Amino acid sequence: MDERKLITQAQAGDFTAFQSLVEPHQKRLFALAKRMTGNEQDAQDIVQDTLLKAIDKLETFRAESSFGTWLYSIVLNAGRLHIVHQKRQNMTPIEDLLDGATHQHDSHHLREWRDPHSVMEASEIRRFISEAVDELPAEYSVPFVLRYEDELSIKEIADLLKLSEAATKSRVLRARLFLREKLDSILKIEDSSEKVR
Amino acid sequence: MKKCADYLQELSDYLDGQLDPQLCAEIEKHVGECTNCKLMFDSLKMTVKLCRESGQCEELPAEFAQRLNQAVKDHWIRKFGKA
Repeated sequence: MDERKLITQAQAGDFTAFQSLVEPHQKRLFALAKRMTGNEQDAQDIVQDTLLKAIDKLETFRAESSFGTWLYSIVLNAGRLHIVHQKRQNMTPIEDLLDGATHQHDSHHLREWRDPHSVMEASEIRRFISEAVDELPAEYSVPFVLRYEDELSIKEIADLLKLSEAATKSRVLRARLFLREKLDSILKIEDSSEKVR
Repeated sequence: MKKCADYLQELSDYLDGQLDPQLCAEIEKHVGECTNCKLMFDSLKMTVKLCRESGQCEELPAEFAQRLNQAVKDHWIRKFGKA
């Protein structure tokens, strides 16, 4: 059914319409909350708070964004508060993670990559990438995940995260470079005649 | 004259389809001539492809899904008087 119609019905008190609006986004909200908190229990609390807040604020939703994006904005606010309250210890600066190799690539000899599926099973690739994304600070992993897993535009992400579009692009790029480098460690075709670093 | 590093942000925008045609042509010309940028371009593209493929979310834990549905329903009833 049309999202606008479901919203109108939900705002009039139709619980089934609300469930239809929320259900397609629950898994992604949970994944995002987990990404931000690094903790399944906290992620569960955030998702529950998000849906309860969505009920409380349902009348204020004006359909200026999609319902899913609105839910993201609530989950991101809750996640941000969580991060502020429980600032992770030993957070590694992205500069250390990137170690300078990829953004000065003209001084390095990059390697061609093998077909990833010839190196690892699809499930191993998924696990490897998920673990690599987990290594990134949330300020980088969240824009990246919103861009490439949730397929939001740079503008939508910038609005959600209250960043400029330039800052959003930069964070997405740096996350991408970090993940590229991680993948490079397992996919590059070795050349015995030359040392990369 | 632009260095390879100058093309990095543009490469990313190019891959996301967010560059204007004139800059696209410039990038394509550079990537066609520069082995390192070609390799960077290919590997960045593959990185995103793999991330998109791996982005399938896990199911919510069953116990949590049940608890969540109940909490949402209870909250709804508190607000609207029925579910």
